[in-house]
Amino acid sequence: MGVTCVCQVPILEGKSVQQTVDMLHKKLEQLGAVKQGSFFVDCETYHATSNASGKKRQPSKLLYVMHNSETPLSCLALFEGGPYLTADVNFDVLMVKLKSHFQNAKGHKVESRGTRYRYCDFLVKVGTVTMSSSARGISVEVEYCACVVPGDCWNLMKEFMQSFLGSNVPELPSVFAAKPEGLYAPVDCMDTMVQYLELFSKVRKQQVIPGASVR
Amino acid sequence: MQQREEKQLEASVESLISRVAHLKNSLHGFIYKLENEYDRLTWPSVLDNFALLSGQLNTINKLLKNEKTPSFRNQIIIPLLLSPERDEELARLTEQRVPVFSHEIVPDHLRTKPDPEVEEQEKQLSAEAARIGPEVAQKQIQTLNKLCSNLLEKLNNPRDDRESESAAIRQNKPSFNPADTNALVGAVGYGKGLSKCRPPGSVAPGHPGQPMMTGGPTLQQVTIGGAQGHQAGMAPVAQQQAGQPGKMPSNIKTNIKSASASMHPYNR
Amino acid sequence: MEAPPVTVMPVTGGTINMMEYLLQGSVLDQALDSLLHRLRGLCDNMEPESFADHELVYLLKGQQGNPFMLRARRSLAHPTAPWHLRYLGQPEVGDKSRHALVRNCVDVAASHSLPDFLNEMGFRMDHEFVAKGHVFRKGALKVVVSKVSRVLVPGNTDNIEPLSLSYLVELSVLAPAGQDTVSEDMRSFAEQLKPLVHLEKIDPKRV
Repeated sequence: MGVTCVCQVPILEGKSVQQTVDMLHKKLEQLGAVKQGSFFVDCETYHATSNASGKKRQPSKLLYVMHNSETPLSCLALFEGGPYLTADVNFDVLMVKLKSHFQNAKGHKVESRGTRYRYCDFLVKVGTVTMSSSARGISVEVEYCACVVPGDCWNLMKEFMQSFLGSNVPELPSVFAAKPEGLYAPVDCMDTMVQYLELFSKVRKQQVIPGASVR
Repeated sequence: MQQREEKQLEASVESLISRVAHLKNSLHGFIYKLENEYDRLTWPSVLDNFALLSGQLNTINKLLKNEKTPSFRNQIIIPLLLSPERDEELARLTEQRVPVFSHEIVPDHLRTKPDPEVEEQEKQLSAEAARIGPEVAQKQIQTLNKLCSNLLEKLNNPRDDRESESAAIRQNKPSFNPADTNALVGAVGYGKGLSKCRPPGSVAPGHPGQPMMTGGPTLQQVTIGGAQGHQAGMAPVAQQQAGQPGKMPSNIKTNIKSASASMHPYNR
Repeated sequence: MEAPPVTVMPVTGGTINMMEYLLQGSVLDQALDSLLHRLRGLCDNMEPESFADHELVYLLKGQQGNPFMLRARRSLAHPTAPWHLRYLGQPEVGDKSRHALVRNCVDVAASHSLPDFLNEMGFRMDHEFVAKGHVFRKGALKVVVSKVSRVLVPGNTDNIEPLSLSYLVELSVLAPAGQDTVSEDMRSFAEQLKPLVHLEKIDPKRV
């Protein structure tokens, strides 16, 4: 895995989510990017039941369990701000066993689904972020597969993103900014998932876009 | 006089034929089993079949060596009539194996000497044997005998060792201790006899009737298809789970206590 | 944040409803070699596999109900290998016709952040031990012969003391629920280890 950046793209003035996504697709295709299947990232929210965990830490932090189609046999469990756990999919089964201590907030399930594009060493995933079956926004994930050091390739990635995102190019993701200079941990997609989690949290708080239900 | 001999010959031929027929039947049955029932044929039943065949062969040998049996060797068979035509009577007698009594097959069926090729080989061998002097031959016999006895010794000795070893285990030394089993099962299951990290009294070890784990959701509540067995390969093999939540039988408690005082009661 | 509605969670993946069938016994140290010898003969022809594991048992306590137990294992021999997290359900003894103890079982491979993560979830470590020994397999059957040691200084796996003068012997099979026929295979296998080891289903309600 290379260096990955996840950002939210605002919906164009007077357009629907789908129309904005179509525009992005068109731009990518004009660049010469090639469609390569689809992807999804989802996130379940769990909260500790009142009788579980300590009375010391109140309110208890939410536990997020995420999946990424890029690593289909893995299950990623996160607390906001860490710690993060990479596990196999049996972790989902374990959460079922734990349901008397951790309850799943079904209405808070957020996911991003969309098309995966390949452009040379770049992998671009444009996804529609949905929550309770209503479209809430658009996520764009850009991965530069040829490098694992964010500092070395950030400017290149920025330039590439400018070519289809224009002025919406994000700053260096905080997961990288927080880390000391050096090697990016490439073994799992945890850094990517942390960015998706941030994006999903933002989306969850924002108002429902009127009339933007999913096709 | 001659008539009596003839009668005797006839009787012995007849009994020989019936014995051979028995042998043939057994062979038939065995071959049939090997070809058709090989998948459920057990080794003991194969051995039974061999034993039967060997018994029947023995009976035939005994019959041939019997004093009353006239020497078949002295009987001469002369082919009086050879014919290239099919002989139905002959075919019936031989179960369709020999339909024609012709020039082609007679030398084979009435042969009293080995094949010329075999004869040639035999001649060569005896010539070679004759070339070796008696001393050399003696030496070779001795070497062979030595090799054989060495091999036998090697095969027999460990067997004695093994037998005495397992006999010793069986007789005097017990190889396991039920109290240890309970102590170990209690330790890996509930942490009995292991130092606790929790505050004392929260879950007392050996507390009778206290289940250690919540039952969790009943399995039926979870409904999903495609439960694959992929998980077997997921965790490293070395990471075996040892443990069984089981209550410690109360009469074992004393043993655990002494174990935790690092004085094992079964020290020898 | 408003209290989110709670519903039954959809399972995204994983192997649900796996059961572990288990028989247990022990063997005295002096008879270990005979047992290993016999297992080498009985089991699948494979390279002898040894292991040295550190198991940490965690409890999550609610205000009511029983604590929830999870076991986290790490290999001392392969420090970079993933951790192994395990949930074991209440053991069922069943009737005489079933020859092994059965319990629900969830195995999860996890990254090295597992202890921190469990702590954050509210789990607290209850006890720990070190198990060192050998693993054998025969088809789906798994035989583990291990020395269980207590950890004298918490967290220090170099400072350990054997729990007894015996090795724990466990014969287990993982199978989907309802496949009680595997217990038949286990019984006949256990039969072949007699009189060296008596593998039994050790009933928690016994005595």
